[in-house]
Amino acid sequence: MRWCLAFLLVCFLATVSALSSSGSRLLVVLDESTEKSSFSTLWSDLEGRGYDLTFESPKSDKLSLFAHGERAYDHLLILPPKSKGLGPALTPKHIIDFLDKDGNVILALTGKSATSSSISSLLLEVDVHLSNDRSAVVVDHFNYDTLSASEKHNVLLLKRPDALRSDVKAFFDGEGVVAFPNVAPQTLGSDSPLLMPILKAPATAYAYNPKEETPAPEDIEATGSQLNIISALQSRNSARFTVLGSVESLENQWFTASVKAPNGKKVSTANREFAKQLTGWTFKETGVLKVGKIEHHLATDGEVAAEDLNPKIYRIKNETFFSIEVSEYVYDKWVPFELPTGDELQLEFTMLSPFHRLALQPTSRTETSTVYSTQFVTPDQHGIFSFRVNYKRPFLTNIEEKHEVTVRHFAHDEYPRSWAISGGWVWIAGLWSVIGGFLAFVVVWLYSAPIADNAKKTQ
Amino acid sequence: MAEPSSLDVLLKGSSGRNTRGLLRIVILLTVAAAAVASRLFSVIRFESIIHEFDPWFNFRATKYLVENGFYSFWDWFDDRTWHPLGRVTGGTLYPGLMVTSGVIWHVLRLLTIPVDIRNVCVMLAPGFSGLTALAMYLLTCEMSTSPSAGLLAAAFMGIAPGYISRSVAGSYDNEAIAIFLMVFTFYLWIKAVKNGSIMWGALTALFYGYMVSAWGGYVFITNIIPLHVFVLLCMGRYSSRAYIAYTTWYALGTLGSMQIPFVGFLPIRNSDHMSALGVFGLIQLVAFAEFVRGFLPGKQFQRLLTSMVLLTFGIGFAGLVLLTVSGVVAPWSGRFYSLWDTGYAKIHIPIIASVSEHQPTAWPAFFFDLNFLIWLFPAGVFMCFQSLKDEHVFVIIYAVLSSYFAGVMVRLMLTLTPIVCVAAAMALSAVLDNFLTLGKPTPPSKVNADGSKFFGSGKGPMVGIYSSISKLFVSGTITLYLLIFVAHCTWVTSNAYSSPSVVLASRMPDGSQFIIDDYREAYYWLRQNTPDNAKIMSWWDYGYQIGGMADRPTLVDNNTWNNTHIATVGKAMSSREEVSYPILRQHDVDYVLVVFGGLLGYSGDDLNKFLWMVRIAEGIWPDEVKERDFFTSRGEYRVDEEATPTMRNSLMYKMSYYNYQSLFPAGQAVDRVRGVKLPAEGPQLNTLEEAFTSENWIIRIFKVKDLDNFGRDHSNVVAFDKGLKKKRATKKKGPRVLRTE
Repeated sequence: MRWCLAFLLVCFLATVSALSSSGSRLLVVLDESTEKSSFSTLWSDLEGRGYDLTFESPKSDKLSLFAHGERAYDHLLILPPKSKGLGPALTPKHIIDFLDKDGNVILALTGKSATSSSISSLLLEVDVHLSNDRSAVVVDHFNYDTLSASEKHNVLLLKRPDALRSDVKAFFDGEGVVAFPNVAPQTLGSDSPLLMPILKAPATAYAYNPKEETPAPEDIEATGSQLNIISALQSRNSARFTVLGSVESLENQWFTASVKAPNGKKVSTANREFAKQLTGWTFKETGVLKVGKIEHHLATDGEVAAEDLNPKIYRIKNETFFSIEVSEYVYDKWVPFELPTGDELQLEFTMLSPFHRLALQPTSRTETSTVYSTQFVTPDQHGIFSFRVNYKRPFLTNIEEKHEVTVRHFAHDEYPRSWAISGGWVWIAGLWSVIGGFLAFVVVWLYSAPIADNAKKTQ
Repeated sequence: MAEPSSLDVLLKGSSGRNTRGLLRIVILLTVAAAAVASRLFSVIRFESIIHEFDPWFNFRATKYLVENGFYSFWDWFDDRTWHPLGRVTGGTLYPGLMVTSGVIWHVLRLLTIPVDIRNVCVMLAPGFSGLTALAMYLLTCEMSTSPSAGLLAAAFMGIAPGYISRSVAGSYDNEAIAIFLMVFTFYLWIKAVKNGSIMWGALTALFYGYMVSAWGGYVFITNIIPLHVFVLLCMGRYSSRAYIAYTTWYALGTLGSMQIPFVGFLPIRNSDHMSALGVFGLIQLVAFAEFVRGFLPGKQFQRLLTSMVLLTFGIGFAGLVLLTVSGVVAPWSGRFYSLWDTGYAKIHIPIIASVSEHQPTAWPAFFFDLNFLIWLFPAGVFMCFQSLKDEHVFVIIYAVLSSYFAGVMVRLMLTLTPIVCVAAAMALSAVLDNFLTLGKPTPPSKVNADGSKFFGSGKGPMVGIYSSISKLFVSGTITLYLLIFVAHCTWVTSNAYSSPSVVLASRMPDGSQFIIDDYREAYYWLRQNTPDNAKIMSWWDYGYQIGGMADRPTLVDNNTWNNTHIATVGKAMSSREEVSYPILRQHDVDYVLVVFGGLLGYSGDDLNKFLWMVRIAEGIWPDEVKERDFFTSRGEYRVDEEATPTMRNSLMYKMSYYNYQSLFPAGQAVDRVRGVKLPAEGPQLNTLEEAFTSENWIIRIFKVKDLDNFGRDHSNVVAFDKGLKKKRATKKKGPRVLRTE
């Protein structure tokens, strides 16, 4: 059976051209009890985008994220299990290892049932916190769907999020509202730069456990936009981990539902587009940067010969040219990467600390990439330097390039010659006057020997 | 003596002179051969390997020279040491040694003798020690009229342990050729002073230049020659010979020495060289005074001289002070101060004091290194006082100075050895010349008036020892001493000075030799299992060896030019992991190497050197690293249960004892160097992981972990990997901190 599967897999790999930049094998973990068909639109959308879907139950014996020590899948979509925990094949350790090996994960939660402790401890590892009893639901009395949740107010109607900051690209924006029923809220640890909120709850939202009584105000951990509906972690190796608070928002019924906000008009939801954006981003269809050629060489006017390219060693005070080629993946192709306005791609020339930190300018463009470059003079300090490009922005994969070069001192024959330095003329004059004087003295001495006879006579 | 024996044909007349000359050559060659042979113990015992620490750098530099040619060696910027600062190696080394072996290698290749450069390097020191013996012969012959003195001195020099300690095969250090150059320069200097010849003076300068290119100890020559001249002047022995010799040497020698990039302008800027300049000025003045004396009557001349001397001294002194204060002339270097005050280095420059060869000499070392020469030495110096010629003054000055220096620093025993050999040979040859003459002079027929000159000469006019019993006794005793000397030298050489220290030897219970090869095992592990540019951090002692044997970049090495960088390593070693890790990251460290002798009882390990790391780090960061914290409240340096928390949390301690407890039954771990029982619970490392531990645990290599993929603390990661559940952060007091995004 195994080899049969493997053969099939190879066939799939050969025939299906993945649209994601990092592979097409997608494992969907869902309970048998969960209606697989209720997400059928999502599955067909994903298959339409080139993914190979494998469905496994968390309890299945065959379920394993790894085969022969390598990832068996490229992406992982976990729907909330009805039972407690995700089983022995999906412990927090496995999922962390999966992320360590560049796999991407969407973890969907639901406010309907309590989240299992194994998921909670996984989230705790990456500094995403669930509510204390793990069964809170976000409600909002101002942005709810009046059609389906007129009583409970637990179906949130939210606009798609804009860019996080003005200098960050938006990947989830667009027209229309998205419905999020039964959101399990998350809060983010305050000190991790790897975490980012994709969608925050509106300021008027709050979370509570509907099975309990209304909590005392001092027990409320977070309210309003401190609560996240969707949060994401992009680890240092650029693996993506998205936590979606509401699995129902991916269901067929909400893809096509009509909703009406209080005081609003009846509109149909944009859940389907948003699900595409969300899965597309997490599975690296968008926001993926790729570094192409990196070139550095001495600045010259003409073409640079191949052997002078990327030398291992420079000299101090060399005029140096550096360029880096960056592409961005947008759904199905590589396009030239454009910096958001207000942002800079920077080059550091570093030894222990940066000696130069320069903005790289886009100088040329190929079909799939933009070439950023700059020119500078190596500092008057020899040592082992590195060209570093460290570009880490929310929602974009990390660029961390480090190229070591040696900067040497002047060789003995690279200093200006003595006569070229006007200050040295004094010494040169002194030198030659001594030599000349000595020669003159020798000449005078040789030709002015006293006549021996006369000397004797006078004595 | 009625009948001429067959021997007399060989020993008398012109053929006798020829025979003696031939014998002398044969003896000298034998001495040279003995000198070479006795240095080969290390090759026979171990193998043809470069020894110790500095030789590894010299070897690496030589390989670079041979591979890349002279000019790229001259301009060599070494990016594999002192990461990330690099080292301008071509400009900060004494190239004489490497160039010498490079030339030898090229000459051998020219003669179509394909020799590995390593073998040239290994055999260079023994080869040059043969030459030193010859130079010693020449030098001593200038000192003594006795023909045997030179031969004795050559023989002494050939096998004296004081010199062998730095010149066994494989000890490829600057001293290997420098001692030959020093002795030969002194010989040429004596020649120059004796003859007053520009040629000898120029030759002195030439070899002085060679010496400068070979060893930092050239300063010794730079100071002792001016001192010799100065003493001669003070003794009223000014002569045109001294003037010519000194001025020629100084002018040419200084120019020559300035050609070495590492020396550069030191001869005119550094205080260590100022005495040579001062004496150069002085001798001009004295020469001028002598010249003027020819024209002036005595009284006026006296007055002129006094005022001139006072004036020049005042101006010169004030000028020197002014220049030193303004920074044009560098003040005395630290190593120089430590020559006068043995406690200076310990307080001010721990890095100098931490080197064992910079420690003051223990008195048995004199006997150990020189055997019976040490008590013949004063006798020889005394004999120099008897016939106090110019060259004897030199011997006396040299003897006094180097005796002092050898007492201050173990390493300077090396400069003492040549003069001890000279003096001892003079003394011994005087004895032998008196006691080994076979014939008795025929008593003169009449008592001449000269007899009254001697005290107690009542018994007869004949002075001397003519009894064959006393001759036999004395020469027998001396022969015994000489034999013991040879036995001692051989024993010392084979037992004390022939260990490469890269390879350790110990004895098994049955007496067979057991080779401990952990160093090379670990270095080859690094060479074969790590990327080519993996940065290795270790204490600086092992820098050269890692560079030479493992061929990996290091942070610090035995060329201790940057104290701050060394202190950085010291700080990383002596701090908590949380402090060390950012330092390691900043310096791109991939692997950390420590030497641990606890299992084998190898006392030269890093924990025993640890206090020096702490001290050096404390010198730069007195607020962050404190030596006091490493001692218990009772002032003890401990590693067991009672070790201080600072000690137990230091990276060095953790690395040394990491996993060590697993070798022993629970609670039985013992450190055999420090002879203590270790805590039952071993230290835990979070930011490093063990990469390699050598067979006898002498070398342990740890890999520096990368930052955690999810931005977690390394201690949390380790806990997570062990399966411990993370506790949910308890509610913080006060208002929640909001994420602002």
